[in-house]
Amino acid sequence: MIEPTEKALARGPGSFSLPEGGERASIVTDLRAIASDLVAFRELLVELTIRDIRIRYKQAVMGVFWAILTPLVLLLSGWILRLAFGRLSGEAPNDAAMAGLAVKSLGWAFFVGALGFGTASITANLSLVTKTYFPREILPLASVLTQLVDAGIGTVALVLALPFFSVHLSIAFLWVIPLVCMLIMITTGAVLLGSCANVFFRDAKHLVQLVLSFGIFFTPVFFDLDAFGPVGARIAMLNPLAPVLEGLRLAVVHGHNLLQPLTSAHGDYLVWAPWYLGYAAIWAVVLLGASAVIFHRSEFVFAEYV
Amino acid sequence: MRPRSVGRVEFEAVWKKFRTGELHNRLRDFIPAMVSRAFRGRPADGALGGGEFWAVRDVSFTLGPGDALGIIGPNGAGKSTVLKLLTRILRPTHGRCLTQGRVGVLIEVAAGFHPDLTGRENIFLQGAIMGMPRKEILRKFDEIVAFSGVEWFLDTPVKRYSSGMHTRLGFAIAAHLDPDVLIIDEALAVGDAAFQRKAFARITELARSNIPVVVVSHQLETIARLCTEAILMSQGAVVRRGTPQECIVAYLAAEHNSSQARLAPTAVVIEELRVEPGESVASGEWTTITLICSISGPGPSDSEAIGIRIRSAESGEPVFETTTLSLGYDLPKSGRFSLTLELQLNLPSGVYPVESFVWNRMAGRELGGGPGGAVRVEGGPEFEGTVQMNARARLELRAF
Repeated sequence: MIEPTEKALARGPGSFSLPEGGERASIVTDLRAIASDLVAFRELLVELTIRDIRIRYKQAVMGVFWAILTPLVLLLSGWILRLAFGRLSGEAPNDAAMAGLAVKSLGWAFFVGALGFGTASITANLSLVTKTYFPREILPLASVLTQLVDAGIGTVALVLALPFFSVHLSIAFLWVIPLVCMLIMITTGAVLLGSCANVFFRDAKHLVQLVLSFGIFFTPVFFDLDAFGPVGARIAMLNPLAPVLEGLRLAVVHGHNLLQPLTSAHGDYLVWAPWYLGYAAIWAVVLLGASAVIFHRSEFVFAEYV
Repeated sequence: MRPRSVGRVEFEAVWKKFRTGELHNRLRDFIPAMVSRAFRGRPADGALGGGEFWAVRDVSFTLGPGDALGIIGPNGAGKSTVLKLLTRILRPTHGRCLTQGRVGVLIEVAAGFHPDLTGRENIFLQGAIMGMPRKEILRKFDEIVAFSGVEWFLDTPVKRYSSGMHTRLGFAIAAHLDPDVLIIDEALAVGDAAFQRKAFARITELARSNIPVVVVSHQLETIARLCTEAILMSQGAVVRRGTPQECIVAYLAAEHNSSQARLAPTAVVIEELRVEPGESVASGEWTTITLICSISGPGPSDSEAIGIRIRSAESGEPVFETTTLSLGYDLPKSGRFSLTLELQLNLPSGVYPVESFVWNRMAGRELGGGPGGAVRVEGGPEFEGTVQMNARARLELRAF
């Protein structure tokens, strides 16, 4: 074997000038790079989403029913819980409670589904990551999009079912648009962080598994805020998903204008304050922005770590 | 047609650091590592930390349209790392690497296939992974399918494909990418002999389409045929750059020397190998190879012999080999001697590396190597193939 000269081996790159950029990439240039990458590879994002959806329905007996199965099971669990606690308090769950449960189950099912599939997305596509180049963001984003399609099917089913819960949509339904945007942003942020962490630390998925299993107890899905009392309601709202899900319930089921505060029926304390919207929006923007930058800066070493 | 951009590859003093051993891939290991790093300080980028090594050291090249670079070298020389840097899968630790234009990569052509999807669905998926928009795939769809020869199985999940069908379909997609820069890594052994010919013809066509091409292959023949220039890599560094044939000769000579280094000690030492005439020889003409040797110690046994071997630079395979034993000579017991061999070069034009070696008949193996050289064969009578058979023709008319 030809040995490289001793000089070449001993010489570190420090001993001569390197054509390096030098300037540290700023957050703005990073975000711009992410955006232009996504535009350039949008077709791949669509194809990977189609792939994930196709695979799910191949050789599956239940077909589209799968899309609404998770929220339906969540709804059923919530109903059983409410029924049990209702016997103690003498307050059986009414139609509005059921409709609220359905709305929040749908939102939570989207979050859980996206986080579950998204966290594993990079490691599950090892052969792609180590053998071809594309912006790695595409993989977790495709997981989110796949879940979004399911959530869309679920939403259609829910809207069709709402009249049976004697819920009639009002103008406040329009609040759904910003709230769903926030939900998607928070979910995407969490998925980007989860998938990135999972590349470097294989036990990150256990952490995510904990969130998936027990997060529902720290998020007002089965219960509405007024069940927590004045202090509990405020603490529960610290969870960025809480104002989003509660907002969805209030706007869809109760036709509540979210710019107005709402007092609990059980006493004189607030279960909704307009600034909750701002709180959730800040979370959504900061989480998504920060996770996108973290992901973008670490994606170049994915192929070495996975 | 999509707007084409002028393909360009720039590799400027590129260094790439890797680490061996286990990485901290659990949070539990990461936290203590971060703490110790915080106290001891992070090693500078230019230096190597524990367990780290340079997989690529100071590699530079620039390719424009029409340039085809072959990268050769033993396993672990850093060839594949260079390709991964070129395709942006890896980022250099130092230096700059840039590819301009759409990069067509003939490596792992079926990497994006999903086993549960049909051939048709996978064409769109794999095409998107390679950077082809859906419209373009639609336009080339029939061509891709015809090239791959899997028409009948288009709507069958690829998990039921044979491995040959699998790679053929993958290759067909990659081959229709219409790239501005082409990168090839051992993707050439695809399918059966007929498909390989078709694939190689397609690769040659792409490589000659006035775009920059980078080829990594252990099939030296491929490098010799496709490339206009070459680099020889060893331990991450470029040890030689020049024409493909020069690099191939250097590579084979280095391989020969390193394989000899590990052999048993012998009494016969080959000091010099001379090839005359030194320049080129016309095909069909004669060359003279002289070995000058000396004997030391107790002298060689009767079963020892010296020999030469001539290889094809294209394939690396030996084309001719002989020893004093097969020629019917015994080696002297002491002193210096020379062996002169006259060879008729019934070979097509090309460069042929020459090796010398000491051989033991009883052990049935080589005992040691000697110096090497090369013969360059040029022109000569026109013929196709690997051996000049000096055809004598006779044409006669026959009545039925």
